[in-house]
Amino acid sequence: MAETPMIEVQNITKRFKGLTAVKDVSFSIRPGGITGMIGPNGAGKSTTFNMICGYYPPTEGKIFYKGQDITDKKAYEYTNMKIARTFQIMKPLKNLSVLDNVVASSYFGHAGAKSPREARERAMEILQFTGLYEKRHVLSKDMGTPDQKRLEMARALATKPEMLFLDENMAGLNPAETEDAIRLIRKINESGVTILLIEHIMKAVVSLCEEVIVLHHGEKIAEGTPEQVMNDPYVMEVYLGTKKEDTHA
Amino acid sequence: MDSRRAVKVYHRNVAILVGLILLVFALIPMVVTSPYILNIFVLVFYMSTLSMAWNLLGGMTGQNSLGHAAYMGLGAYACCLLVVKTGANPWIAAVFCMIVVGLVAGIVFYPCFILRGPYFTLVSIAFGESIRQIIINSEFFGRASGVGLPFGGDSWLNFRFASKVPYYYVGMIMLIAIYVLMKKIDRSKIGFALKTIREDEDAAAAIGINPTRYKILAVVISAMVAALVGFFYASYIRYIDPDLMIQAKSTESVLPAVVGGAAYVEGPIVGGLLMIPLSEYLRANFSSILPGINMLMYAVVLLVVIRFRPTGILGWYMHSRVKQWIDEKILKKPPVEVLEEAELLEYGKKEA
Repeated sequence: MAETPMIEVQNITKRFKGLTAVKDVSFSIRPGGITGMIGPNGAGKSTTFNMICGYYPPTEGKIFYKGQDITDKKAYEYTNMKIARTFQIMKPLKNLSVLDNVVASSYFGHAGAKSPREARERAMEILQFTGLYEKRHVLSKDMGTPDQKRLEMARALATKPEMLFLDENMAGLNPAETEDAIRLIRKINESGVTILLIEHIMKAVVSLCEEVIVLHHGEKIAEGTPEQVMNDPYVMEVYLGTKKEDTHA
Repeated sequence: MDSRRAVKVYHRNVAILVGLILLVFALIPMVVTSPYILNIFVLVFYMSTLSMAWNLLGGMTGQNSLGHAAYMGLGAYACCLLVVKTGANPWIAAVFCMIVVGLVAGIVFYPCFILRGPYFTLVSIAFGESIRQIIINSEFFGRASGVGLPFGGDSWLNFRFASKVPYYYVGMIMLIAIYVLMKKIDRSKIGFALKTIREDEDAAAAIGINPTRYKILAVVISAMVAALVGFFYASYIRYIDPDLMIQAKSTESVLPAVVGGAAYVEGPIVGGLLMIPLSEYLRANFSSILPGINMLMYAVVLLVVIRFRPTGILGWYMHSRVKQWIDEKILKKPPVEVLEEAELLEYGKKEA
């Protein structure tokens, strides 16, 4: 490979006591693209995600960001390296307005705002970009799922990342809302942000991702373009269960 | 340009209102001569300041401390001992006691912030009680008999007066200064970091906040403000003993914030202005009828407030018709859209 991958994961394994949640997974993410990570429930997607984002240290293996070893970095050190993430279970600052939620993020990261005014200015820009501007005075706990998912992204974007991790950002959305979310993710990517997303909605994965990684029982079983992956016999078996084999561990 | 003018008018009206309130408070000692009433005001000033210190931790950061009397007591002791043992000037002792208490709080609580929620509260109670026990059992701290500050003629240099009026003004200035500080923190990076930590520590880490670092910062600032109150108390009463740090005193520092509205910087002041005179009034008028009845009545008031206004008096006021009316009719507050248009004009994001 000519260019240094944005993220390179080398043989990471995570064991929780006796349970091996993720086993010997390796992959790399090309700068500028959108990569998807799919797999059935319990495949280890979120665990892999949390390891890359510094929430759980991997039991074995190494993680590199632009060629630099970040395996032992703490979660709060990531924004300064221009990496941001969202959570599957949304974590809005419930008792603050939408605007203040984003203002809080604007203060942090590698280019954190230096003054309350700068933070507010940036927050307003981000809210316009993500289409939440009209709701800026609503308390975030009073919003519905689609807007809270959007707010998760807005808060991550306010730290000005180059690499964005999206954890099931479309779960629980109806088709129209999913379309909106896809459009927003594409817009974020076009602004120069590399994205890794976990998703269950195949339509979104196919229309957004150039590369897909498939996990099953904590192991990587396939990798490639969405078409390649979807036509992989093993992936079809895992998803559709064509063979009469017990795939449960 | 119209929106900008409207905002200017609104800001001017707010300034006039605040100025009037300050003027009233500044004039009170000239009208009221009873030392008893003045004492209640001084009490309101320093207890509200202490409660603001608590609110930085309890309200803004969501770490419920029940050991604030210990910070205050420790501050009072550090200040008194320095003055008594070395003859230092009390103003220098004030700075000294804030540094000492800030350091002690930082060092003691650094390992404790791995603990979340109620465990932090338990440690804060244990902290207060340990400090009190150390003082009771140490000759250096004067054991249970306490420490007195030297008496003498009135002097600003020694912060020593027979009259209560200078204490009234110094207490008021202290309250205003700490309020301005807290307001600044509330809008700053630190404030948003603390509020994010209160809502969710994982979410805080995700946007680059080191939760431990900011919680320590909050404890240290809070403890330093409490120490300043300790200095004021010691200079005012001129005698301190370990009873300053009993658990009930820590609880007293929580009440104004909770009753006033812990989510607001102004909460402790509003709560203090209501609850402390009430407590004094009940004590003065009812405790002779039946011992303890004043406490019972105080408890009933407290229960009623918490039952019907769980977000405090300000929590109710901020969404009430009263505020709407005052904003519209008296302050001429422009609607949100106009305020924002003016803000955008200010930023140069929009053409006039």
